[in-house]
Amino acid sequence: MIGSQPRPESSQGGVVQAVIQNIINGTMMGCIYALITLGLSLIFGVMNIVNFAHGDFVMISMYFTFWASSLWAIETVATPLITFPFLFLFGILTYYLIIHKTLREKYVIQIAITVGLMTFLRAVAQLLWKASPRAISYSIVQGTFVIGNYTIMMSRFTSAVVSVAVIYLFSLFLNHTWQGRAIRAASDDLDAASLMGISYKWTYALAFGLGTAITAIAGGMLMTFQQVDPTMGLRFGLLSFCILALAGLGTTLGIIISGVIVGIAESLAMGMWDPRASSLVVYMIFILVLWLKPRGLFGRK
Amino acid sequence: MVNNKAILKIEGITKRFGNLVAVDNVSFEIYKGEVLGLIGPNGAGKTTLFNTITGLLLADGGKVYFKNQDITNEKPYKICKLGMSRTFQVTQSFISMSVEDAVRVGAYNRHDERKVEDQVNQMIEFFGLNAIRKKKCEELGLAPLKRVEVARAMATDPDLLLLDEAGAGLNASEMSELMEMLKEINREKGTTLCIVEHVMKMVMGICQRIVVLDYGELIASGTPEQISSNQKVIEAYLGKRAVK
Amino acid sequence: MQNLQTMKQKRSIPYTAIVLFIIALVLPILFRRSQYNLILLTTVVMYGVLATSWNIIGGMAGQFDLAAGAYLGLGAFTSGTLLIRWDITPWLGMPAGGLIAIGFAVLIGYPLFRFRVREVWYALSSAALVSVLRVAFLMWEEVGGPTERYIPYHDWSFYHLRFSSYIPFYYIMLILLVIALFINHWLSRRKLGYYLLALGDNEDAAEILGVNAQACKLKALMIYAFIGGMVGGLYACLYGFIHPKFFSNTMSLEVAILGIVGGMGITYGPLLAAAILVSMREFLRASLGGQMQSLYLGIYSFVLIIIVLFKPQGLGALLRDIYSRLNYIFRKESPKP
Repeated sequence: MIGSQPRPESSQGGVVQAVIQNIINGTMMGCIYALITLGLSLIFGVMNIVNFAHGDFVMISMYFTFWASSLWAIETVATPLITFPFLFLFGILTYYLIIHKTLREKYVIQIAITVGLMTFLRAVAQLLWKASPRAISYSIVQGTFVIGNYTIMMSRFTSAVVSVAVIYLFSLFLNHTWQGRAIRAASDDLDAASLMGISYKWTYALAFGLGTAITAIAGGMLMTFQQVDPTMGLRFGLLSFCILALAGLGTTLGIIISGVIVGIAESLAMGMWDPRASSLVVYMIFILVLWLKPRGLFGRK
Repeated sequence: MVNNKAILKIEGITKRFGNLVAVDNVSFEIYKGEVLGLIGPNGAGKTTLFNTITGLLLADGGKVYFKNQDITNEKPYKICKLGMSRTFQVTQSFISMSVEDAVRVGAYNRHDERKVEDQVNQMIEFFGLNAIRKKKCEELGLAPLKRVEVARAMATDPDLLLLDEAGAGLNASEMSELMEMLKEINREKGTTLCIVEHVMKMVMGICQRIVVLDYGELIASGTPEQISSNQKVIEAYLGKRAVK
Repeated sequence: MQNLQTMKQKRSIPYTAIVLFIIALVLPILFRRSQYNLILLTTVVMYGVLATSWNIIGGMAGQFDLAAGAYLGLGAFTSGTLLIRWDITPWLGMPAGGLIAIGFAVLIGYPLFRFRVREVWYALSSAALVSVLRVAFLMWEEVGGPTERYIPYHDWSFYHLRFSSYIPFYYIMLILLVIALFINHWLSRRKLGYYLLALGDNEDAAEILGVNAQACKLKALMIYAFIGGMVGGLYACLYGFIHPKFFSNTMSLEVAILGIVGGMGITYGPLLAAAILVSMREFLRASLGGQMQSLYLGIYSFVLIIIVLFKPQGLGALLRDIYSRLNYIFRKESPKP
């Protein structure tokens, strides 16, 4: 049953019920998407680099979770405790090894380097785990509960709650700790920040590491109810870019709302129209936003 | 030379970034053929004003007239076609292009394929870039880079050239070389110049008229002598230092 | 002196080009026994065409385009459908596919270039265009759908562009390559070419010098999309069927990687990269078989990362350096800067 949509039977008002059911599912997915996007926006906001490999970090995280859970029988929900520090280190290393050198280059070069990273991660995943989808066999958060006429999957619900909580914790971190403020200062005005004794290199590396590490949590949560395959990265990448374009830069709340909008749109498209149509709808939103509101709905710049 | 006919008229230009008012209701005119200095301490809004005039930023209020045409919030390339060009404070070079190709980009503004080569050669000659014409821009030092930037802006055949901190980062001899070059442009080509500087010494020697910005507002305008004895200007410059 | 040097430079390239062109003409005769080698050659040339035209939008204008698969797919479906449904010759179908590709290119290019949105959004929306077209064509049963649509078999028909050997396809692809190279070379010494290079380096500075960024980028994109559509039309006939998998993200990525690795803004660079990397890919595929399919992607991306980090000007520039160094050693000429 993993990954399947709970579908209500058609009855009187079945359509309305199905719509609401999809909105509920979409809202929960949207929260996870928002968490993924938060990592992307952290990196983008600070060093003006859009990390194309972001979605593939999510994919890699999901595989790590799969490993941890199937090889060492670690509970899926708890795997981020291991994968988070690992991806954090991985992000920092990535920053120092490849991203840092391209900061002063042309945009095309900056895009090329993360596109290269994205392709590399996908190839590695295909070599290590082959093309067939993988899923975990057991998690404590399986099962469903029912409110009124609506079925809610325990795993999705938990994931949404965890995502919102992590987003909240991150905004606390950014606003109330020295390191967090350093990141925000660097994204506002690099020159002023370096005058105040903030090492931009470390701040950038920290932001990149954290932005990457967030995908560990998202990946772990996603794994409780989804399969993973090596081409998934691009899908998550595009989803989070779409949400970022919708949200614009700067507000955490904007990211959550945009995430939920995209999640609902995707869920409605899948449930009511055609399971294959989700990327179509997400892309329409993306293009419409770029046509109509190129700075996003909640952007400040 | 100066005939008091305004080539550029700025009326109440305002530019805000969020709550910060970077340029506040600034009005002044640039007369045809003159060399105007626009001075003010760091952060006074000079570069923002330039960016607003040349269309890189959108103004929140006010009007810009160039040769009696309203060019407020016009696209940069259209403003260039009308005959205004500029240089940048932090040199914005075409790193992968050679010096002559960079100049050629400017030269295409008013010259088609047949005539463009003449214009390029003329500019290379005029700005003394012959020795480095084949070099890549990324290999150049700051002084020649600034020279290339002026050359490529002049290659568009502008009637008005705006120079944003042309002297920043240059040493004394490079600075005086640059001033000579600018004087020559003004004298031989008849180009109107507007020079932004926060180093007073440089503008004093070359400008016929000076306007002063501080905290986004216009606080004084007049001849170099008038400006150097203006109480408000002295306060803006010295007062700020005294606080620091 | 100055003139002498430029004259020499101008002449040295055509000589090399003519020699290479003759080799390209002779190659299929050497390989005529093996259909496998012939299709490999055609594939290399095809990637050469795509990467060379990518150079216009990516290398020159600095827009990281990831939609090669979209233009190729549109071209393939246009020309394939025209041929299957109405028996219209691909010779008309190819340019028609090119025009449709232009239409879609403008659809995503226009809003992005109008608002001066950062390059990265262009890269993203072009990547998304490929996925969306694939899904759309999978869902659109009248034209696409999940099963292959075969182009009627003809033993040897010039009108239908169906041949029992790959040799004619190779030569047609070679013509497209020459056209793509010619456009590149021609552009690189014209106003539009200089404007695109300037835009790729620094958009603000270019606009201040009178460059209409939106119009120039759109022109570059249209040229690129048209060539992509043409190649697509030929691609459908080459493989004898059309399928939504032609809208391939992987292929789009490969084209962009070839463009960067070959050297941005260098006319012959992407072709060089295609010759090296695509042959390597096919070699790996043949020698390792299906289970190591993705190894080539790993190598591609590894090469890309290494090139971007250590020689961002690309293989083309590397070759040029070596060439001028050799010149220096053998003729005691000073190396070109």
